[in-house]
Amino acid sequence: MSHLTTETFDSNARAALVDTQLRGALRNATSLFGKRRLAAARGLENWEDLRTQARAIKDDVLLHLDRYLEEFVSNAEQRGAKVHWARDASEANQIVCDLARQQGVRNVVKSKSMVTEEIHLNDALQASGMEVIETDLGEYIIQLAGEAPSHIIVPAIHKTKGQIAELFTAKLGIEPTDDVDKLTSVARNVLRQRFANADLGISGVNFAVAETGTILILENEGNVRLTTSLPKVHIALMGIEKILPRFVDLDVFLKLLPRSGTGQQLTTYQSLITGTKRRPEDEGPEQLHIVLLDNGRSRMLAHPTTRQALACIRCGACLNACPVYQQIGGHAYGSVYPGPIGAVITPQLIGLGKASQLPYASSLCGACREVCPVKIDIPELLLHLRAEITDRKQEQEQAGGRRQEQAGGRRQEQEAGGSFKKRTGERFAFRLFAAVMTRPRTYEFSVKVGRLLQRSIVRRGKIGRVGGMLAQLAPPLGAWTNARDMRPIAESTFREQWRAGLRDDTDPGSDT
Amino acid sequence: MAARESILRSIREHLVASAPHDVVHAEKGDEQSELTLDIGHPNGDRLSASVGVQNDGARSLIEVFGANLEAVGGHCIVARSEAEVIEALNGIIASLQDSPLRGRTIALSNAPLLERLMARVETRVDEIAVSPSAAELFDYDVGISTAQAAIAETGTLMIDSEAERHRLVSLVPPAHIAIVDAANIRLTLGETLATASQGPELSPTITFITGPSRTADIELTLAIGVHGPQELYVVVNEGPPLTNS
Ligand code: SF4
Repeated sequence: MSHLTTETFDSNARAALVDTQLRGALRNATSLFGKRRLAAARGLENWEDLRTQARAIKDDVLLHLDRYLEEFVSNAEQRGAKVHWARDASEANQIVCDLARQQGVRNVVKSKSMVTEEIHLNDALQASGMEVIETDLGEYIIQLAGEAPSHIIVPAIHKTKGQIAELFTAKLGIEPTDDVDKLTSVARNVLRQRFANADLGISGVNFAVAETGTILILENEGNVRLTTSLPKVHIALMGIEKILPRFVDLDVFLKLLPRSGTGQQLTTYQSLITGTKRRPEDEGPEQLHIVLLDNGRSRMLAHPTTRQALACIRCGACLNACPVYQQIGGHAYGSVYPGPIGAVITPQLIGLGKASQLPYASSLCGACREVCPVKIDIPELLLHLRAEITDRKQEQEQAGGRRQEQAGGRRQEQEAGGSFKKRTGERFAFRLFAAVMTRPRTYEFSVKVGRLLQRSIVRRGKIGRVGGMLAQLAPPLGAWTNARDMRPIAESTFREQWRAGLRDDTDPGSDT
Repeated sequence: MAARESILRSIREHLVASAPHDVVHAEKGDEQSELTLDIGHPNGDRLSASVGVQNDGARSLIEVFGANLEAVGGHCIVARSEAEVIEALNGIIASLQDSPLRGRTIALSNAPLLERLMARVETRVDEIAVSPSAAELFDYDVGISTAQAAIAETGTLMIDSEAERHRLVSLVPPAHIAIVDAANIRLTLGETLATASQGPELSPTITFITGPSRTADIELTLAIGVHGPQELYVVVNEGPPLTNS
């Protein structure tokens, strides 16, 4: 597969839509995980409280991130770990490659880690002459194939067992088979050899506890345990947002993460690593290095709306719930972080200019917000980013307009002026929409006002081409009503019916 | 240190920049929480009724542990005395020998108890080694260790690297047998975490194990034993405690 980028989201998505095999696989995965998540959430009576609690803990962490990071570092170092700070991807890669070189490393085993993908660590290590093997089965498969992960939890979801068998036959020289157990055991045997020879293990981190300096990594396969137990050096990379204040906070997050991700009560293994071993004869690496990566994260602290994306625990629930992701899969996003969370994180990490299509890759249906275990309001964030993109375009156009004025090009000047007006409208509309949709009382008030105002334009139960006037007020609505009818506001809304007694005789179908 | 200082500075500056927005956001948050109260939890009552085993006072911790372990593909055997623990080991090893997993070479952790028990296991094996090196371990069929605690509500074992040398014995061979004292089973993950963090220093490595190694990375088809053990047997000792001796 050629390398997809965030800049070509539109064409990536169109290509994905005609790939029927991909869409079938996505449908299976997303609906299976969706169902399991729901069942697992229902299995806990205090699911909602846990979500609220988790978010409160994360908010506290993010508002005092400097303090908690320093506490974490001091505790981890007291227990023998060495902590490194990296402002961006190239600093992080440099740190890891330098460490590896100092230790005379040749063979690296890696467990699944999104942060290492974010910084393209494998490329950097290979450029420094090291051999890097991904040991998570799904990651191993796509590494062999030279592809990118398409799902946070199941990286090779886009490949059939037939394709994987062909790949193994070509690259590992096995007899063709479509028996999943056989394919798995082939990978097990190949990777065991790699583990036995590895001199460096690289992992990610799911949670890092400030109070104790502990890092925690979850998994199902056992490759994380091998990666963090066998080689003499272990390097763990983490975004600066992974901190939790207290050891007992793990309870809340260990209840939420596996249930939201795969619907398990607990993943098969959790490794809680606190510093290095105490005696030379003990099992485990001699050295533990922890790399703290900023890479655009601290910038996201500057506003409560953008900051909430740093609460993400990478469970993948929002991907599975997203009607857009369900159709196009992870590759189309062209970024390491796909789906709804990817659409809000990627533009913030790599810059809005490079990923300006991603915040529009959503129907704003709100399913992601419903399932998110840390209650991230992704739709609010999408609208916030859309407004920012519009701001930018406007600034650029203003600058462009000025240039043309100087050159005396009158016609172009008018065009620029026209789209300038349109942008102001668009920006205003997104801001207004965000403001109304996220404030219940304002929403209810505007529904009432809207019902009064629409009387003049409702025809046969529909709002037809209101076109002209509305479109000028708010261009996105203009585009909308070109192709479809807009439904008028109902005589009484769901919220009103609910209050009037509907709540008592509904069948409670939702998990929230 | 330049990076450390500049990251911390960036965090502080951006948090300061956020402060005025935070005030506005907090007001909005209040409105939202009001809404949550308003709509309430339509199925709240039904949820607590469906919680199942956790609230079932009639079942013992051992039963809850066993049911949850079996649900994730592990095996739970309850023994009421040291003699029954030995009998359980005997049965497990014999049945492994009838399976493709062989069960002929056995690696023990360094818990002294295990050598004592294995001396009385009748099933014949080719080799019993105490705490072999990492490289050697790849050739063993079975790893045996104790576990320091267990969690009933999830069917989970907790192994603590300060108590025993069992990080690899519990991981590398294709079958793992763990012995846990019933007295060390807790109901919840929360209690177990609290117990683990008691004492002045946290152990360098604590591992939670819930069932055999698994993956669904190929077409979502469950495959057991991808990197870790394919079989996990837990012998719960209800008799006088063994593992702390
Ligand atoms: S945004 Fe929420 S639902 Fe999506 S991956 Fe992050 S934590 Fe999970």
